[in-house]
Amino acid sequence: MHRTGPIVELVSTISDAAETIQQLDTSQLVKHLVAAIGADSVKSGRLDQHLYAKDASVLRGTSSVVTLPRCTADVQAIVRTCTANGFSFVARGSGTGLAGGAVPLDNAVIIATARMNAVEEVDVENGFAWVQPGVLNLDLSRALLPYGRHFAPDPSSQQACSIGGNVANNSGGPHCLAYGVTSAHVLAIEVVMADGETVMLGGLDAEPSGYDLRGLFVGSEGTLGVATRIAVRLTPNPPIVKTLLLDFVQPNDGAATVSSIIAAGVVPAALEMMDQRAVEVVEAFANAGYPTDAGAVLLVELDGMADGVAADVETVRRVAHANSVRSVRVAADDAERDLLWKGRRNAFGAVARLKPDYYLHDTVVPRTKLQEVLEKVYEIADRYELLAVNVFHAGDGNLHPILAYDSREPGVMDRVHAAGAEIVKASLDAGGVLSGEHGIGLEKRDYMPLMFTSADLAEQDRVRSVFDPADSANPMKVIPSGSRCGDFAGHTGSGHTIPEGAWV
Amino acid sequence: MSDSVTGTFNIALGLDADSLASCVSCGLCLPHCPTYRVSTEEMSSPRGRIALMNEVSRTGVGDQSFIDYMDECIQCMGCETACPAGVPYGSMMEATREALAEQTGYQPRWRRSGFWFLGHPRLLRGASSILAVLQRLHLVPSRLGLPKLPITRPRLRSTGEDVIVFTGCVMDAWMRDVHVATVEILEALGLKVHISGDEAPCCGALQSHAGLGGQARARAAEVVMGLKGTASIVVNSAGCGAQLKNFGAILGTAEAAALESRVFDVHEFLVTRLDDLEALAGERDAERQRVAVQDPCHLRHVQRNHLDVHAVLEPFVVPVSLDDEGLCCGAGGAYSVMHPDTASSVRDRKIDAIGRTGCSMVASANPGCMMHLAGGGLDVRHPVEIIAASIGR
Repeated sequence: MHRTGPIVELVSTISDAAETIQQLDTSQLVKHLVAAIGADSVKSGRLDQHLYAKDASVLRGTSSVVTLPRCTADVQAIVRTCTANGFSFVARGSGTGLAGGAVPLDNAVIIATARMNAVEEVDVENGFAWVQPGVLNLDLSRALLPYGRHFAPDPSSQQACSIGGNVANNSGGPHCLAYGVTSAHVLAIEVVMADGETVMLGGLDAEPSGYDLRGLFVGSEGTLGVATRIAVRLTPNPPIVKTLLLDFVQPNDGAATVSSIIAAGVVPAALEMMDQRAVEVVEAFANAGYPTDAGAVLLVELDGMADGVAADVETVRRVAHANSVRSVRVAADDAERDLLWKGRRNAFGAVARLKPDYYLHDTVVPRTKLQEVLEKVYEIADRYELLAVNVFHAGDGNLHPILAYDSREPGVMDRVHAAGAEIVKASLDAGGVLSGEHGIGLEKRDYMPLMFTSADLAEQDRVRSVFDPADSANPMKVIPSGSRCGDFAGHTGSGHTIPEGAWV
Repeated sequence: MSDSVTGTFNIALGLDADSLASCVSCGLCLPHCPTYRVSTEEMSSPRGRIALMNEVSRTGVGDQSFIDYMDECIQCMGCETACPAGVPYGSMMEATREALAEQTGYQPRWRRSGFWFLGHPRLLRGASSILAVLQRLHLVPSRLGLPKLPITRPRLRSTGEDVIVFTGCVMDAWMRDVHVATVEILEALGLKVHISGDEAPCCGALQSHAGLGGQARARAAEVVMGLKGTASIVVNSAGCGAQLKNFGAILGTAEAAALESRVFDVHEFLVTRLDDLEALAGERDAERQRVAVQDPCHLRHVQRNHLDVHAVLEPFVVPVSLDDEGLCCGAGGAYSVMHPDTASSVRDRKIDAIGRTGCSMVASANPGCMMHLAGGGLDVRHPVEIIAASIGR
């Protein structure tokens, strides 16, 4: 398959989404929405629209109206009002997504689920909890603390991101190496479909009968409907946790240690890697005692029963020494452990200490190819005169190359996008995939043909159309334009390309 | 210039371009923002407010919603502690409010006069006493949330020049008991105390927060004039201490910067004499009282010395930390009077956190927080009151 740089096509595509919003008359829509869910749940001011037109990615869309539902019935009323008035809709959690999944296109109505933030029921005996989608990931684990349980997926943004967003993106996190990503921790989902009807996908039984539609919904990025209640699996807190900081002079020794640890039969709860630049900015923020002169560091977390953990710690030590580790630091207590993790979890934001903007990629490569791809990333960044910072989930080969830049430099965005495209290509060439956990959203939508044939994409689009035949739910996301045979006009006919001006 | 048809006005915020560019909109500040926590709306979050500052800077056009969204911020600075990128949110918000106050009707004349009062101690104390009498006659509406004000105040006398106790404006009029306790502890440690009193009446913090930069600078200049010398300046109001420690930036003079280095929060000062405090405390009771410690934002997020409060309380009581990561209580200086509904929703979360400690008493090292929490029905003491009572026993 041959394509000439999708980014070039994205950027050169003509669309006047920004103009459209000016001409769009939303007064009737607002009136109907206010009648349906109340004035204090509907925002339509110029500045309100501006704020909800963007998430944590570098993409901006155009929203028409912002709604803040309180319950499933509100979401149904919003969806029905949208459909009746010819508007599409986008569910949004905390807006911490990095792939533009919650960026509204097609003048979509925003359904911000942040107010739906109740933990409705905790059933420790049966190991599940019912939560609303706006519950924050870390708030959920805090609410479960008295029961000695937690919600295992822990994206680095876990303090701010919502469970609904986790479900939409099938989010991962450092501890998903041993525990599995979000799909392994969601039992059932109540979904408001594009026609306003409510369905329950999955169930609380150990093995629900029929097709696993729950599995289909997790990771569908808001294109199949809006999750309004979620039954999550409760994970017991491990009795013993040990966190090790391994410090390497040579980055390739760190990369080799990653594969060797897994090869030695140890699956750590988390296995994270940071390069030297990452360590520098993280240490400036967290003051956790990270060695700023290290070529690379690994953060290894081992948990379980005391004897097993002690044995694993020794195995990791042995493997690290065989790979020329400079020092192995074992966190003495929870405070030290929290400090190390505070650094790791805030790494992306801390990159702003180097440059005011960053573009974060998310690809997965085979563990054994880590070093090869990392070197390629630095080479690409150097060539485009950008600063590459690497901090990532090494254990499952999930790379997060960060390109740091200053958007005020003329022409820098072209270089960022071109470098990004090459990084994606390099990852795929090494046998990797497009996205580990941030999703495809808008950012990677037009890269999909690098991974899938047109027949694959057409089939995926047919699945989507079963749930949402009119493309009302998060339109123009995930699946690139022209994938559906014949009927891809969309109900506003505004074209299916990333609008010019979407990249900010 | 304003446009009455569209409800918009032209405005130059004059914010530093690097500061504006420093937010990467990651959203990690959201859960640490008290107003976002209660409203869950982007416009009530630090990320949202910075995005609005950016947009209004770019277009040069604002509207009433912009003023409202900026005014909703409590300025607790919890976001600065949480921000991995080190965005200088506080100074951006103060600059934005100053531009609004200068170029729009953001701070009407009646509010400006209210803040002017703070710099005139005799008038302030007189008015406060009249208000106290009216309170006794049930002529002050309780929805204003004012504490029971004193009609008369105990007298404070300077005994020497070892250390200066900064008495401030509202605190001196309303909570002089806390000054009395502060002086008792310092004297018990063998220090002779100078009372700042009307020589340096007001630090100007509330004026800064309101965007009244001119008034704030005038108050700061008076304090710098009034507190010459080399003696340490001990402050028992977290908000005033934070302001005094920022005088260098506010006034941009060498004298102001020199004064900054002499300023200590009272707990920060006492922690350097912990051995002497331990001696005063004597043998620890087996059944010491457990006291919940509320960290004022101006200690935890601005001065970043809140742990000193826990340390100096420890010889006397069992200090119990809250589990809410220092989320603001909603007081915010004059905020709780201007935004009573939001302030009370924010306070509900704090009251829950205090409830989870199982303590019946709360220690709070800032007058605004003390009054706001007391208004929520809690038994609130300043840490120095707890210590002084223990020493006096």
